[in-house]
Amino acid sequence: MMTLAASLLVTALLAAPLAAPALAGHHAFAAEFDANRPVKLQGTVTKVEWINPHAWIHIEVKGDDGKAVVWMIETAAPNSMLRRGFGRDSLPVGTEILIEGFRARDGANRANGSSVTYKDGRKLFIGSQGTGAPVNQ
Amino acid sequence: MRTAIALLVASLVAASALAQAPRGFTAPTTPWGDPDLQGTWTSDDYIGVPLQRNPQYGNRLYFTDQEIAENEKRRQAQAQNDAQEFAGADARITTGPGAGLVDRGRRPPRQTSLIVDPPDGRMPALTADAMTRRQGIGAGNPNPNPASWEDFSYYIRCITRGVAGSILPVIYGNGQQIVQAPGYVMILQEMVHEARVIPLGNRPHAGAAIRSYMGDARGRWEGNTLVVETTNFLHARTGIGLNGGGTPTSDALTLTERFTRVEPNVIQYELAVDDPKTFARPWKIAFPLTQEPGYQNFEYACHEGNYGMHNQLSAARAEEKK
Repeated sequence: MMTLAASLLVTALLAAPLAAPALAGHHAFAAEFDANRPVKLQGTVTKVEWINPHAWIHIEVKGDDGKAVVWMIETAAPNSMLRRGFGRDSLPVGTEILIEGFRARDGANRANGSSVTYKDGRKLFIGSQGTGAPVNQ
Repeated sequence: MRTAIALLVASLVAASALAQAPRGFTAPTTPWGDPDLQGTWTSDDYIGVPLQRNPQYGNRLYFTDQEIAENEKRRQAQAQNDAQEFAGADARITTGPGAGLVDRGRRPPRQTSLIVDPPDGRMPALTADAMTRRQGIGAGNPNPNPASWEDFSYYIRCITRGVAGSILPVIYGNGQQIVQAPGYVMILQEMVHEARVIPLGNRPHAGAAIRSYMGDARGRWEGNTLVVETTNFLHARTGIGLNGGGTPTSDALTLTERFTRVEPNVIQYELAVDDPKTFARPWKIAFPLTQEPGYQNFEYACHEGNYGMHNQLSAARAEEKK
């Protein structure tokens, strides 16, 4: 599936003084998402919108009542993801994944994605750095 | 006094060293004889260098050799970490996106700040009028509560980052593609995809009534240096900061940029800011742009996919109902 070289973003954990620019992603995290509402969503990829300024993964999640609900997951900027080896084909439709992230402040089925975990346990980070999202919780 | 003079001389020497080409380097020329700056350049190496200097460095523009070595060590550790394909078992995986997808420099920066003048690396004082100008909500706002789309910065709205905001290093999308033709230089900037078409020669600027976000640019060659003077900006739209952030500048703004190819893969870039309605004195930014193997500009159709605009407004309205 992937030449996902480098899509692993374990990075900012190295706390370099030079690695904390004042402005970062395209919007303020707190304007759109709620850091106090973490979500874990197990589902199947139905669509990837490979668009600027942020890409969006659509996944179908089965609720407790068995009904499928589509969630939209915001990721980092596609151009940066591409430079790090993550392309629009890295998550083909039908891929089963677990998304961890933070829910939209307006309560809609949208979230800012932090990480993607594949069925075999491999994990990638997909989120934006420095937009005000909580770090190292 | 003697110390002050020595410091002044040192900073002048340092400033002139910024744009000096090493001996033995002959800048290439285009088939029609202009200095050739063509290619895609990036300021990635200066990602994370603050616009304004941390006061701990005082008047010191450059890191010491030891500090550069430490930064390089950190950079290499980061690169090693980035190169892993998946999160290792020992990785501090977080539930927050603290491990973001950002672009990286390929060598450690030499400067302690992007501002090279004043000598303390700090932005000059704002005028009283400038302090009254409203700043749009930007990415750094921790508690935004937009009432309208008009409350957001021009960057968040995918409109523009201004001239300075389009070239100052940010965490991604720093590409600057330069294309030349006889009489013209064009710079295509990746993020927000501004294309600056710069006529060369002595033609006058547009009339004072004609104003725009990116201003009216005129270029000329001074030796191997491309000098671009831009005026005719709209009043109070973008500021001189990352992504056009910062206090909005005025309609009196004149930007003078200097692009000098100092090595085959390095352009020394300098930006002089003169805006008497906004700053107490003129000031200057400088940093290098580099060409890197395989680096290219990617498409950046921002407005079409800017779901964030709707989502942020919808979040603010939902908050009001609580």
